[in-house]
Order: sequence, then C-alpha cells, then structure tokens
Amino acid sequence: MDDYTIGVLSNIGVVSFVALSAYLLLLTGEISFGQQAFFAIGAYAAGIATALWGWPLALALAWGALSGGGAAVLVGIPTLRLHGLYFSIATLAFAEMVRILFELFRYQVEIDGELTGPSGAEGFRNIRYIFDHNIDAVQFLLLIYALLAAALLGFVLLERSRTGVAFRMIGEDATLAGLQGISVARHKVLAAGIAGALAGVGGGLYAHLTTYVEPRIFDVMLGVHSLAYGLIGGLGTAFGPLLGVLIDIGLLESIRALAGYRMIIFGGIVALLLIVRPRGLLDERTMHGIGNLWRRTLLRLRRPGPGPGPGPGPGPGP
Amino acid sequence: MRPATRRTVAVLFAVAAACVAGGAEAQVRAKADLRCEQASEVLLYDCTVGLVDSRTNEPLTGLAVTIGADMPSMAGAHSVRPVVAAEGPAKGTYRFRLALEMHGDWALLINLSGATRDRVVKVLRFEDGRVGEAPPPRR
Repeated sequence: MDDYTIGVLSNIGVVSFVALSAYLLLLTGEISFGQQAFFAIGAYAAGIATALWGWPLALALAWGALSGGGAAVLVGIPTLRLHGLYFSIATLAFAEMVRILFELFRYQVEIDGELTGPSGAEGFRNIRYIFDHNIDAVQFLLLIYALLAAALLGFVLLERSRTGVAFRMIGEDATLAGLQGISVARHKVLAAGIAGALAGVGGGLYAHLTTYVEPRIFDVMLGVHSLAYGLIGGLGTAFGPLLGVLIDIGLLESIRALAGYRMIIFGGIVALLLIVRPRGLLDERTMHGIGNLWRRTLLRLRRPGPGPGPGPGPGPGP
Repeated sequence: MRPATRRTVAVLFAVAAACVAGGAEAQVRAKADLRCEQASEVLLYDCTVGLVDSRTNEPLTGLAVTIGADMPSMAGAHSVRPVVAAEGPAKGTYRFRLALEMHGDWALLINLSGATRDRVVKVLRFEDGRVGEAPPPRR
C-alpha cells in the first residue's frame, strides 16, 4: 500500500468517528450541526496531552474522549428543551463559539528550543507523537481501525440493548417514549455524551495523524459533512454513516479530474439521494430486508439436505 | 457480555496497544524554509523547500520528500495528491511543482522519510502571481 492510499484510508477511518457521533444524535431525532466542536475539543485535548504534557497516546485519546464527552453533556443539559431547528441552531452556535475560542486560545511551552502548543488562529503544530515513538503510518492506520471496530461493536451491542431501543423510540416520538416510561432527558444527555466522546476520540486521532490542527479545520463544513454521512449512508444501522464516509471521501478522490467542481457534483448527488431515499441507502427497511435474507440463508444452511435416509423397514406382516 | 464479544474486545484492544507500543527516541526534528512562485500557468507553482535539523541547523540530505496540500478551511475537500520532491543543487534543498485547485490558504504537509522521518506543516497564501505567509484569518 502506498502512502497516498494509507492517507486516504486513515482519513476515512478518522472521519467515521465524527460521522458516528452525528448518527447517534440522529437516532434520537436530533439534527446536530455542531459535532465538529467535540472533534476539535478532542483534537486539542489529546494533542496537548502528548505534545505538551508528555502523556502516552492511549491516555491522551482517552482524555480527548473525556473532554469531548464532558463538553457534550454540558451542552446537552441546557439544550434539552430545544427540538428540531432550534436544537440545530443551538449546536451550530456552540460549534462556532468553540471555533472562535480556539482562535483566541494560546498555550505554548518551549520544547527543544521551539515554542509548541496552540497559538490562536495560527493553530497547533508539532503534535509529533507518532514520529517521536516510531509509529509508522500502517501501525497508526491499524490503531484507527481497531478503535473504529470497537466503536462499531459498541453500536451493535447498544442497538440490541434497552438503551438503544429507547434511543430509537425517542427518535420516533419523544412524547410517546416518555409516556412509555422512558426518561427522555436522561437518554438524550447520555446520547449527547457518547456522541461527544466518539467525536473526541476521532479528533484525537486526527490531530496525531496530521500533526497539525487549526480552528478553521473545525468549521461548519465538517459539521454538515458529518451529518450528511448518516443521511447518505442510512439511519438503519451504524454501518450507514460509514458507507456515507466511503461515498464522500471515495467519490471525492475518484473524480479528481473534475478538480474544483467536485464539491458541486457531490452536493448534487447528496441532494438527489436525499430525494430518492430520505433515510439514506441503508435505511431501516433495507436493513430489515437484509436481516431477513441473512436469517433465511442461515436456516437453509443449517437444514439437513435430503440424505439417503433409513430406508423402508420390514413393515407389518399381513 | 458474551464470551465471543469479550474475546473480540480483547483482540481489538490488543491490536490497538500493539499499534501504539513504540519506544521514544531522540528523533531528528526538521525545520523547513519553503518558498514558492507561480510557474508558467495559473495555479501551478514551483516550490523549493530547505530542510535542516532544528537542533543543529545541519542540512538534511538524501531524504525521500513528498508534499501534500490541503485547504484548512475545507479540510479534505480539495486536498492535493502528494507530489515527490527532487533534491536540489544546494545541500538540504528539495524542489517540486504544485498544482492547486484554487487560490487561497493552503497547508503544505512536507513528509520526510529515509534517514529522518518527520512531517513539517507550512501554511501559505497562494494568490495570482504571489505567494506569501498566510495571515491569521479575519472574523
């Protein structure tokens, strides 16, 4: 695998975390344009932890997840009463607030005679953990996908659990879910916290992958894309947003010949897809069909074939 | 948690731990001096990067250098496929040609491999006929 392919695959993996983060909120019926804020918080937190405080990567990523999740809970509580467009605007406003705060945030320490750390709008460079610790691009790629697989496994278990069912019920109708005895507020804050933590892990991985972050990276475009991944790929399964990321980044990379017009074409495809399949490619109905097909196939494989059998017995005499 | 799930989680964490298990070594940190000027065509730029060891200021020679570019304001949407830089006549200099999709601020990711493995990021503003340091964005 060449460096370019590894780079594209790494990007797909890292962006998948923020896509899963937006997807989780979509499950609870909320459209967030602000998941990039938690991605940014995770990126800065994990970057500071390794580059300035000398923490190991695993701990730094956990710190990034904790920071993203904590911030999401803090935002989730006051926005609990908001729904629909109002919630979306609130999340967008929060994300812009975070981006501007990072433009003002300066925290630099001299390392090897060089000032290292966030420097406002100029960004945060020299997050060199993978170079200082001889972690090559393939190893980092494996790390990204191992964590992504763990996150997906978590989603599979979550969707089978009572909490996952409660999330979907709230997404369908929060009032009815409340009448069924589900604590809507508690579940929404929980979903926001998990979504924030996921985005935080993605941010931490992104910072270490690129070795450089700056506030402009975390603008509304990333938020819109992360939301679009779930809507394109489908809301029927956690694999939907991943399919969305594959289509987005894969498509952008495969039509490079169209250079600057790629985003216009991509936007057109997204609009068309949303008209034809409003809940994405892997929507609930498709996933139900795939599930049925899978069960039928398993049953057919398990059923014994028409073997020679025991043969006719002597039978009763006359 | 089912035994199969427990095993899967354990394997995933083992893979993750193996991936980040690397010994910290005193790596060479590179410092880059990057200059670009417009080539014969619009959006085509000829660049020269001078690489030195940030601690000793010794030029870094004999490296494999590739340069990728991305727009910080639209990360990933207009990234440029990495180009390979050829070693220049002066010690520690490398030359490459960059084809961008539009004018604006671009983050150039200078990747070093070989005897020294590192990445240096430079943000430049590319305009028609002029290339300079990117000033901080205005709100």
